[in-house]
Amino acid sequence: MEMIRGYPDYMRESIEMVAKTREARAKETMRRLTLEERDEVLKNFHPDYKPDAKAEIRIGRSKGEKAPKEVVELLEAMPLIDESDVNLNQIDFDVDILIIGGGGAGTVAALWAYYSGVPIENILMCTKLRHGDANTMMAQGGIQAADRPEDSPAIHYLDVLGGGHFTNNPDLVEKLVMEAPKIIKWHEQLGVMYDKDENGNFIEISGGGTSRFRMHSAKDYTGMEIMRVLRDEFRNLGMRVLEFTSAVELLTDGNEVTGAVLFNMETKQYYVVRAKAVILATGGFGRLHIMGFPTTNHYGATGDGLVLAYRTGARLVDMDSVQYHPTGAAFPEPIVGLLITEKVRGLGAQVVNKYGKQFVFPLEPRDVEAASIIKECYSTENYVVTPTGLRGVWLDSPLIELLRGEGTVVKSLGAMYRMFHRFGIDMSQDPILTFPTLHYQNGGVAINVNAETDVKGLFACGEVAGGVHGKNRLMGNSLLDVNVFGKIAGISAAKYVKHKKSKGKLTLAHLDRYMKELKEAGIKSEKRAPMLLPDYRGKAVLSRKLDIVV
Amino acid sequence: MEENKEKTIKVYIMGKEHQVPEGLTIMKAIEYAGYKLVRGAGCRAGFCGACATVYRKANEYKLRVALACQTLAEDGMYLTEIPFVPANKAKYELEKIKPSPNIILQYYPEVARCVACNTCTKSCPQDLKVMDYIQAMKRGDIARAAELSFDCVQCGLCAARCPAEIVHYHAAQLARRLYGKYLAKPSPNLEKRIKEIEEGKYDEEIKRLKSMGLEEMKKRYMEQQKNAEKEEA
Amino acid sequence: MDIPYFPGCSLKSNTRYFEDSAREFFAELGINLVELPEWNCCGTVYSLTTDDIMRHIASVRNLVHAQELGKKLGTNKLMTLCAMCYNTLAQVNALARSRPDDLKTANEFIDDLPDYEAQVEVVHALSFLNENVSFEKVAKLAKRKLNGLRVAPYYGCLLVRPEHVKIDDREKPALMPKLFGLLGATVVDFPYSVECCGSYHTVNMKDVVVEKTRTIIGSARENGADAIVLSCPLCEFNLDERQKDVRMKYPGFERMPVFYFTELLALAMGKKINMGAHYVSPENVLKKYGLV
Repeated sequence: MEMIRGYPDYMRESIEMVAKTREARAKETMRRLTLEERDEVLKNFHPDYKPDAKAEIRIGRSKGEKAPKEVVELLEAMPLIDESDVNLNQIDFDVDILIIGGGGAGTVAALWAYYSGVPIENILMCTKLRHGDANTMMAQGGIQAADRPEDSPAIHYLDVLGGGHFTNNPDLVEKLVMEAPKIIKWHEQLGVMYDKDENGNFIEISGGGTSRFRMHSAKDYTGMEIMRVLRDEFRNLGMRVLEFTSAVELLTDGNEVTGAVLFNMETKQYYVVRAKAVILATGGFGRLHIMGFPTTNHYGATGDGLVLAYRTGARLVDMDSVQYHPTGAAFPEPIVGLLITEKVRGLGAQVVNKYGKQFVFPLEPRDVEAASIIKECYSTENYVVTPTGLRGVWLDSPLIELLRGEGTVVKSLGAMYRMFHRFGIDMSQDPILTFPTLHYQNGGVAINVNAETDVKGLFACGEVAGGVHGKNRLMGNSLLDVNVFGKIAGISAAKYVKHKKSKGKLTLAHLDRYMKELKEAGIKSEKRAPMLLPDYRGKAVLSRKLDIVV
Repeated sequence: MEENKEKTIKVYIMGKEHQVPEGLTIMKAIEYAGYKLVRGAGCRAGFCGACATVYRKANEYKLRVALACQTLAEDGMYLTEIPFVPANKAKYELEKIKPSPNIILQYYPEVARCVACNTCTKSCPQDLKVMDYIQAMKRGDIARAAELSFDCVQCGLCAARCPAEIVHYHAAQLARRLYGKYLAKPSPNLEKRIKEIEEGKYDEEIKRLKSMGLEEMKKRYMEQQKNAEKEEA
Repeated sequence: MDIPYFPGCSLKSNTRYFEDSAREFFAELGINLVELPEWNCCGTVYSLTTDDIMRHIASVRNLVHAQELGKKLGTNKLMTLCAMCYNTLAQVNALARSRPDDLKTANEFIDDLPDYEAQVEVVHALSFLNENVSFEKVAKLAKRKLNGLRVAPYYGCLLVRPEHVKIDDREKPALMPKLFGLLGATVVDFPYSVECCGSYHTVNMKDVVVEKTRTIIGSARENGADAIVLSCPLCEFNLDERQKDVRMKYPGFERMPVFYFTELLALAMGKKINMGAHYVSPENVLKKYGLV
């Protein structure tokens, strides 16, 4: 098999067809699907609807609800520790606010807790990898905010609701859209380098399911740019973060959350943290590889926060809905599943099949777009096959050069260009192969407009929290979510701790309750949770492993 | 046990020889060899700099750099990850400083020591013009430093190898924030919109939307989608 | 005419008006200063070591860029305005020519650029004007006379030392006197024209510079000058901005404006100069001679 400019020779035939149809397609606009058509394609082709995708949660506040079976396994799994493992009388960190998770939401929460008057020494953040190792860092395409005169928060509101199939919590959506411009202003003041023209106007483009151009981006490194700046500010203030330190269990006094047990993954030491308030900002669950999909998520996205919160009695919402990003890389093999930002479509690239023909409007909401691509690959013969047997369709990135001028791809999609260039593919000249990939946890721990969960003392924000996006998140609303609700969580927790005079008793009583529930439901699990990190070690080595302590 | 007919290659991970299947990234090769990464893996997609790797190819003297998650392991590769670099970061209050030509030298005076040896550029897995952005800082060109350093994932290899002990990526972060805050113009629309929101301009409409029935909302939504802004042809 | 041009760090940050006035002036002669597409700091002081090849890499890189641009423009010259940049680049160039083994090592180290062939000629703008344009031609093209402006040319160190790179006589330099004489200024000779300004002592031994500046300016005034003209951003800083420190120590000290030579050339071409960029404002002096 000969490789021609990064692609095996047999794919070149299809690529030629895509090139041939390009000029005509430049003037072509596909019709958007009606609501009924959307439901139809979802029901028949979206992975969420596969009969064996979900399981019923058998214990806890959300008993009876459906969630991906990989998640339910963890929600019903054995804890990592019990009372005999830890001495809770020796407190290692005594703080006002503990933030679990060092991504966008956690960092924003920390900053706003500080701005709200909590002294720096009373804020502690822990994160299982490094500060900034999170899905936020990898977000590419943009952050939504209705700041143009042609747009309004009300239009944004309806877009969010429609994209979420009208199941979102309206109060949370209201907060999301109304706070958005203020977040962008805050970013401007912090020095975030958004794409702007020479007069300072943001260059805003479209996203899937958005009816106005309101995507603010920083090339296709939007998340990275925002995260870098937030992290820099956190560091300038001298705020405290414990890296490579996971939370393995929350602590309660039987009812309220009063702290957590942290685990230093390098030294294996545990830390007992007493806190007046705990903010959960643990992000997503991509590394659970739901339905066997590859994922866009970072190494530590194992849904730990869901498990921790659930055991203390928190409620989960919309866990039956998983977001598959329509355009994950499908070739070459080393980058399969990695994100190809929606900005590629926002700039004009079309989704076309093997024969260079469009088959879906490129900017449907993500679930509809993903389902449509799966439909093309699994109910027609119009797909391309990779040498390792994966099916995909083309994302016609060279069309961007045609529509917006030569050099646009390199200038506006630097990260994507680089990712493919590393493997010999020039995406400004050739289309790129794509297939949906596991991307986002639409639901999560239920919160109110103050980012409070049902459990007193426990706040949640960002991807781990649910209700904001309903059954399907729109592009650009996650970066917005982590900022808006991170800010709300920080302010809210700051207010909460100001009025809280005493710190609570530290117990694992909620674990007793949890274990009892498992027993009563007849659940005997071999699995242990939270997962902390996925295991990708070679099977050959694992089969010869010895558990000898050195 | 399924017979493995895959082609294998030899890689040396921190000096130890391993046989791994061909076609794996360096990161997956390290994991295949049995290492469970705690340090040395982050986003696994080329955005975070956690997996900065230094390596030599078989029979070559040159030191090369890569991100382990984005680079194929090759036969004879002699590699290690560098998961952490102890580079010092200056602390500053962005509100209180000005984007004057020498501001970066004030916080990172070692930038002046750059001898233009270009080692940093050669150490960048993102192929950035690192020395050029340091030189831009040296002559007070904050905008150029911000532009050239933008795609930096802060892996630290430049700082690790610099003979002048410059901490390129921290200095660049300052340059970019200075640019974003002081050199890029503030958005004229933003202020207006925030004022409108604070004055309650949208309260009524949102209230109406929140109390709307499902069927009416669906109708309004589809119309809004139909009348979505389009790119000018 | 196009000529490769090396600006140096200062001319792009703190003393933009040196380059701005130069561009205005050279445009009148039909000469286009083509900035090197890529360049780095010349290295200044540390590039003056003779045994540490690493310290010369910065300058050699610039010479390679000049070489490559020169090939496109059909010239081997590299023009500089800043005396320090001139001196550094010229000295490294001389080393490159006289030590082929060291040059070879440097070339092998710089593996991302073509080899330096040691054929570039580093020229200071004053030499260029003298040899390639002629001062007489400059005077003929001048749009106005300098009306007898009493100006003391100050050379400092780097244009006249060391011997093998100097552009003018180190006892009695003649280029600036001739040029400004032809342009109608009254050139004032004074004994401190080639005296060191104190250079980098301005950073941590400010008083050294204060004394020097007092002496140099004082001497110029004693000999009848109303202004200084020079060619180096560091000399300019020491002789202009540091007058503030001189006045603090010696309250009776009379200030004197300091010009870059290109500013006076721009004035002679009828152009305006950036008054606000100076510490000691030249407005009164220029008004006195009807040059505003």
